[in-house]
Amino acid sequence: MGRKRKQTEIAEAEAKKNDVAPERPKRTLFGWKIKNNDGEVIENGGEDDHTHVFRNKEKVLITCSRRINFRYRHLMLNVASLLPHSKRDNKVESKESKGATLNELVELKSCSSCLFFECRKHKDLYLWMAKCPNGPSVKFLVNAVHTMEELKLTGNHLKGSRPLLTFSANFEKDPHWKLLKELILQIFQIPKDHRKAKPFHDHVFAFSILDDHIWFRNYQITVPHNESTKMDRGGLDKMTLTEVGPRFCLNPIKIFGGSFGGPTLYENPFYVSPNQIRSLQKKQKAGKYVKKVKAKTKRRMHEMANAMERDELADMWKE
Amino acid sequence: MVVLKKYPSVTNRDEMEDDEELGTISNDSESEQESESDEEQDEIKVAEPSKTAIYNKDGLVDKLGDFKWPDNVDWMHTLLIDIDQDQEVDVNDDLAREAAFYTQAVQGTREAFAKLESKGLPYLRPFDYYAEMVKTDAHMGKVKDKLLVEKKQREEQEERRKAREAKKISKQVQAEKTKERAKEKKESIESVKKWRKQREKSGYANDKDEMKLSFESGKVPGGKRKGPPGVSPGDRSGGKAKQFGGRGKRGMDKNKKDREFKNSKFGFGGRKGGKKQNTAETTNDIRGFNNKNNSRFGNKKRKVS
Repeated sequence: MGRKRKQTEIAEAEAKKNDVAPERPKRTLFGWKIKNNDGEVIENGGEDDHTHVFRNKEKVLITCSRRINFRYRHLMLNVASLLPHSKRDNKVESKESKGATLNELVELKSCSSCLFFECRKHKDLYLWMAKCPNGPSVKFLVNAVHTMEELKLTGNHLKGSRPLLTFSANFEKDPHWKLLKELILQIFQIPKDHRKAKPFHDHVFAFSILDDHIWFRNYQITVPHNESTKMDRGGLDKMTLTEVGPRFCLNPIKIFGGSFGGPTLYENPFYVSPNQIRSLQKKQKAGKYVKKVKAKTKRRMHEMANAMERDELADMWKE
Repeated sequence: MVVLKKYPSVTNRDEMEDDEELGTISNDSESEQESESDEEQDEIKVAEPSKTAIYNKDGLVDKLGDFKWPDNVDWMHTLLIDIDQDQEVDVNDDLAREAAFYTQAVQGTREAFAKLESKGLPYLRPFDYYAEMVKTDAHMGKVKDKLLVEKKQREEQEERRKAREAKKISKQVQAEKTKERAKEKKESIESVKKWRKQREKSGYANDKDEMKLSFESGKVPGGKRKGPPGVSPGDRSGGKAKQFGGRGKRGMDKNKKDREFKNSKFGFGGRKGGKKQNTAETTNDIRGFNNKNNSRFGNKKRKVS
């Protein structure tokens, strides 16, 4: 434990240093010594001094809850294989206090965001996306899961090549969708010049909002080209995509201000928990007998209430 | 493919209908009505957007500002493309939905590649760049196997379908042929009758010419074939077996059929095809004679090559 903590501190220190590295003045005993940058070669040559160079140093912790389904575990592994800037960790007990433990874990692993696959009742998969340590975090319900292992998806691509991200335009519609878009962008885009990233682009992620759900697809890009790195003329038109997988559909439930907690910023008004749906279905099925009995008693009551009049001609033939 | 259903709306509709039915049956007991109205309330809560749901717009915007990457981030960092698709897509229509995703991805890729091209950065993977792939070779092998099996199955199915159709057609053809043959036979018989009458009328005058003419007129049964019409070549009974066979008892008929089938299968009757006759070749073949070792006691059946 101790050793790891040290590493994180070092990492943080480094991060700070890198952030301001090019324009940091030399320190003296009593203050700052501003030095002309004659001899120095600054990394961001043409840019202003005020804008520091943006560096994406995202690291994603991917983990899941205990007692996860094999299917959902495979989905998690697929996602991990798509994101080379991710780290895996042991399963976490899905308790009330899981937020705190997860935050701690993320810090220990020196990550800046987290994907937490939470499986409940071996049926329902919830996905947490969180920026750590100061939020926001989102909880999704995951539907329509297809893993990469399914054999009908024939595409394949380099492991660790940076994906092109395509978002449907309705992500710009509402503030919560905007926030989700930014979150997805930060988590799913592999940092440029990441050491495990490959320098070519051969797959594309499609995120689109349909029916208030976010649908995810991953396609391989196949472009016919004769020269090794240059596309043929009109190659863009001949370009085809083959699906690689995985597929899933995210239904946002809640957006929190903090990471794994904090004030609720958004709540999906249309969300119905799968438990509720199941119980409703059960109720519908169960009501059959009760309804029948009800109808019978009603009928009897009705008959008793308006009794038939005695027929005048009833015993006409008896005599 | 998993079809995402809109459970709440569907269940709600069903429930509402049920309620209506119940309402028509009974509208006098108070307690019943109460319970129903309760149910209805429940349903409505599920179907409609809950009013208590939190939506803190300012908070969301603030938070977005907090953790957002700066606006002037180079596009190479994000590789992000927004695609505006105008038409609405039905969620439950799998094909349309997937097509929409595909077109979104394709358009995005086109734009992105154009951008990358304009920047002059390499983005296509060279042919000699081998690296680890997302799916392993073993997995891709499985995928390929599956595709092959599917293809084979499809082909087999096609073949079977074709065979079935061919069989149907061949039956028709067969029927037509038999009809034609019967017609031919009838005609030929008639023509013979006609010829006979004519001969009678003419009082058997210039007999030879008439005969010639009638046969040369080409109505000879069977055309090129030798033998009578409606008789298979190689049938020694001249088609009589068929004629008389039909009038037998049922059991006999069956036996007959069996016999016919067996004959057709194993071969019975028909010309021997001159198999057993000697020809010039066989008479000149003296391989059977053993002239090398002139022993009188040699095995006669043994052939010397």
